[in-house]
Amino acid sequence: MIELPLLFLIPSIIAAVLVGFVCSTMGTFVVRLNLSSIGYAMSHAAFAGAAFGLMISTDSTITALFFAFGTALIIGPLAEKARLQSNIIIGFLFSIMIALAFIFLNYSPGEAAKGSALRILWGSLFSVNYNDLLILLFLSFLILAFVVVFYKELLSVMFNRKLAESSGVNTRLFFFAVLFFTGFAVSLSLKLVGGLLVFALIINPTSSAYQFFYDFKKIMIFSPIIGT
Amino acid sequence: MLQDIIDLRCIETIYEGEKTPVIYDINLKIKPSEFVAIIGPNGAGKTTLLETINGLLDYISGEGFVFRKEIKKNKSEIRKEIGYLVQNFEIDTLAPFLCKDIVMSGRTGKIGTFRFTTKKDWDKIWYSMGLVGMIDFANRPIGKLSGGEFQKILLARALAQQPRLLLLDEPFSNLDYASKIQIETLLNRIHEKYKITIVMVSHDLNFVPVGCNRIIVMDKGRIIMDDKKEKILHSNNINEIFKNGGRK
Repeated sequence: MIELPLLFLIPSIIAAVLVGFVCSTMGTFVVRLNLSSIGYAMSHAAFAGAAFGLMISTDSTITALFFAFGTALIIGPLAEKARLQSNIIIGFLFSIMIALAFIFLNYSPGEAAKGSALRILWGSLFSVNYNDLLILLFLSFLILAFVVVFYKELLSVMFNRKLAESSGVNTRLFFFAVLFFTGFAVSLSLKLVGGLLVFALIINPTSSAYQFFYDFKKIMIFSPIIGT
Repeated sequence: MLQDIIDLRCIETIYEGEKTPVIYDINLKIKPSEFVAIIGPNGAGKTTLLETINGLLDYISGEGFVFRKEIKKNKSEIRKEIGYLVQNFEIDTLAPFLCKDIVMSGRTGKIGTFRFTTKKDWDKIWYSMGLVGMIDFANRPIGKLSGGEFQKILLARALAQQPRLLLLDEPFSNLDYASKIQIETLLNRIHEKYKITIVMVSHDLNFVPVGCNRIIVMDKGRIIMDDKKEKILHSNNINEIFKNGGRK
C-alpha cells in the first residue's frame, strides 16, 4: 500500500471538512424547502460547463463554475416567472444541462479531453490547491455570517413564506439568497467531491439531524457538525 | 375627527392570469379601534380583500391607503404594523419549529433587518403567548399541536407584532365549539383592552364576536351591505344570500 505523507493530506482534509460544512449548512434549507434535487441540477450544469470549456479550448473548471453559478442564479426567478415550484424548474434545468453537455462534448476536439469533463462528476480531494482552500474558507465564513445575521428572517421564511411576507419580511430576497448560496456551495464542492457525492453531503447530514431534533436552531447547529 | 386606518377607493383586484376581477368597486373606510366583520359566502372575495389591504395582492385600479400610506408603495412598512392570521393554515406535522420561535417570527419585520432579537422582544413574545394562554407550550414542537392550539399560536404570533391592525381570515375555521368560544372571548378581550382595530373575515354568521360593532357583507366580489351588526343580522337580504350559497 502506498503511504501518503501527512503534509500532502492536510489540505485535502481541511477541504473535506469545509465542503462538509458548507453543503450540510445549506442542506438544512434545501431539505426544508424540498429542493433535494438541486445537487443533481448543479452537478450536471457544471458538467455542461466543463464540456463547454473543452469545446472552446479553455479551462474547463472555470466554465464549470460559471455554468453551476448561472444555474443557481436563475432557479428562483425562473420558478417565480413560470409560476411553478422550484423543484420542477430544477428538473427542467437538469434535462437542459445534460442535453447541452452532450452537444458540447460532441463538438469537443479529441477523445481524451472528453474524459476530463466527466471527471467533474466524480471529483478528487487530492486535486485541491491553495486557491480552492481560500475560496472555500471565504464561502464558509460568508454562509456562517448569512445564517447568524439573518437567522430570524430565515426561520420565518422556512416556516411559511406567506406568513413571513405578511409580517414585513422580503421573502423573495431571502429565498433567492438561499438558492444562490446553495448553488455557490455546490459549484465549489464539485471539483473536490464530485457531482454525485455533493448530493449526499447536502441531504444526509440534515436528514440525520431531523431524526433527533424538532428545533430548527438545533438542526442548524447539528447538521454542519454531522456534515464535517 | 379620527383618521381612517383603512381607506379604499374604487379598488379592483385581479389574480394573475385571470380576466375578471375577484373584487371590484370596493369603497371602504375603517376607523381606529373598530371591530369589523366581513361576511359572505364562499368565493365572495373576502380573503382577496384582506390580502389587498396588507398588500399581498396588488390592486389594478383605484387607490388604497392603510395608516394613511399608499399600500402599493409602502407594502413592507405597513405590514410591520399589521398582524395577519391566514385562512385554513395546514399544520406540517414534521415542521421542525418550536412554538416560541413561530411566535417570534411574527416580530421579524418589526425588529428589522440586521438586528438581533433582544430581551425586550422576547418579553413581548412571552406576553402575547400568555395572552392567548399558550405560555406552557413555548418549547413544544409546532407540528404536535391540535387545531385550536395551533390557531392560538398563530394569533399570538400576530399579537407579538404589537400590531395597530389585526386582519383575521376565518379565525374560527377548523375549530370545535369550545375552541371557537375561547378564540371569540380572546378577540373580545384583546379589542376591549388594547383597542386594536380588528378586521375579521368569516362565512359563519353564528360566530360574530360580541365586541364586533360593524358588519360588511360581500357577495360576488363587491360590498353589498355595510352597517351596524344588529341591523345586518336582522336583515332579510342576509338570509337570502346565505341560503342560496351566494348565488342570488
